[in-house]
Amino acid sequence: MEEQTHENLSPAQRLGRAAALAALIVGGFFPFIWMLLTSLKTEGELQKFPVQYLPSKLDFSNYARVFSEQPFAQFFFNSLTVSLLSTVLCIAAAVPAAYALARLNLRGRGLLMTAVVAFSMFPVVSLLIPLFRLMRGANLLNTYPALILPYAALSLPIGILTLVAFFSAIPRDLESAAMVDGTTRVGALTRVVLPLSAPGVVTAALLVFVNSWNEFLLALSFNTKLSMRTVSVGVTLYQGEFAFPWPLIAAAVVVATVPLVLLIAIFQKRFVSGLTAGGVKA
Amino acid sequence: MTTPNPTPARRPRREPSEAQLAALLLLPAAALLLGVLLFPMLTTFRDSLYLNKLTEPWLTGFVGLKQYAQMLEDPRFGQALRNTLFFGVMTVGGSFLVGIPMALAAHLPGRTRGLARVALLLPWAMPPVITGLIFAWLFNAQYGVFNDLLVRAGLIDEPLRWLSTPGLSVLAMVVTIVWKTSSFVALIVLGGLQGIPKEMIEAAQVDGATPTQTFFRVILPLLAPSLAVAFIFRTISAVQVFDIPYTFIQQAPAQGLLETLGVYIYRTGIEFLDFGYAATLSVALFALSLAVTAVYVRFVRDGANS
Repeated sequence: MEEQTHENLSPAQRLGRAAALAALIVGGFFPFIWMLLTSLKTEGELQKFPVQYLPSKLDFSNYARVFSEQPFAQFFFNSLTVSLLSTVLCIAAAVPAAYALARLNLRGRGLLMTAVVAFSMFPVVSLLIPLFRLMRGANLLNTYPALILPYAALSLPIGILTLVAFFSAIPRDLESAAMVDGTTRVGALTRVVLPLSAPGVVTAALLVFVNSWNEFLLALSFNTKLSMRTVSVGVTLYQGEFAFPWPLIAAAVVVATVPLVLLIAIFQKRFVSGLTAGGVKA
Repeated sequence: MTTPNPTPARRPRREPSEAQLAALLLLPAAALLLGVLLFPMLTTFRDSLYLNKLTEPWLTGFVGLKQYAQMLEDPRFGQALRNTLFFGVMTVGGSFLVGIPMALAAHLPGRTRGLARVALLLPWAMPPVITGLIFAWLFNAQYGVFNDLLVRAGLIDEPLRWLSTPGLSVLAMVVTIVWKTSSFVALIVLGGLQGIPKEMIEAAQVDGATPTQTFFRVILPLLAPSLAVAFIFRTISAVQVFDIPYTFIQQAPAQGLLETLGVYIYRTGIEFLDFGYAATLSVALFALSLAVTAVYVRFVRDGANS
């Protein structure tokens, strides 16, 4: 990464840069901050116009209600379980496949890559009903596998594409050297290629995790038992009698988003370099 | 290692051939894709040729392309298709207009770089359904902060009813989707920016190019491959957009202008329980995604040849 020096900048240029950075940071954080402020307000403070920007006191009762009105801790546990297991399953299948596609002399490699991309183009909403029937037939509705299996499969194409990009970037000589030293092909994969592609694997894993954590439609339709709900569906379950209880919803949104904020704050450097190196899908 | 039976003297255990090894390595991925996704995909194609409506269970059976003919004459399909294309053009364009400056800002050196990266990643990582909820709140007619800021700035006299005024609700949804998806464009462009050798930019500056000239004549052409990748992924996701319109429609009932193809498929299948017609609409949406990709692939190939 090239670092540019500040010395050759005019004051106007510096101001422009500061403004651009400020716009990016405010724009990215503002909706989240606004939910945080809303979550600390009472219904009374909410109904003031013009809008009262800061809550008059720190009132965390909405957060208590998030957990008492819905089994939100259970939603959280469900999301975590489903997302982690989807990630493990997806990566376990994606790593060997990507290695084969990037490294072995395959006939029909182009065709296989096209097939992988084609799988990622089928709209999820189109798969909803047939997948529902499949899961019902297998007696999996309201179980973790009902979400884990489709999440792992749906993220597999992007996982494979990301890892193929990473594996392709590792010099072949390193493997050849290992194999000349008497290692098998599989040995070269596990002892040479995998350690070097650890950043790629982490990136792909984070990608799958975020996709699974955020998925809404299948979670809404397959796991309808309250105790099997995930966080993304859970935040939509707070309904008032007459209107949306916004401070409560805001608190739920904050609770649901905090793990993502922490995750990207911890991994931001690796995230950005990893995502930009491999393929990315929104 | 292409010989089918390499038997090194030092290693008594037989190593698999490359083809066998490849098959073995591809097996788990193939099992997952074929086992979980292929059958539902094929079912969708099959279902599109059959009548299957739970509210009229006596009407079943093979009808061939009849539901496709019905689709072509369905005004609601036409409306959903137009909405989808309109949102596609507006939000893909919008995400590039916002995403490219975002990438340039995030690429700036300095101590705030980490914070800028998190600000860049946050919209990308945010669950779309939560994004929809948040923006529905920001656009709330009575208590929404956007109305408040506009009133305070003197741009409007009265709070606007964003979600229940047809034109405004469309604008609100475009803003929401652009906020959510610009980061994706920015991430890919950032990758492209990091790949540009510093020397090329310095050379342009030595030749007396202004920053604007450097951007349009040097940086932008070098970003073309990244922009093409971002464009195709953005377009496919824009065509299939579901979660954000779904949450918006919950807040703004009976908004024909907000119904995208994805939402129409969902309603046809889940609310009207018309599985056959939902499958027909699904095939149409898949075809649209394929068409977009085909145009892109052609564009990139022609670009590479020229």
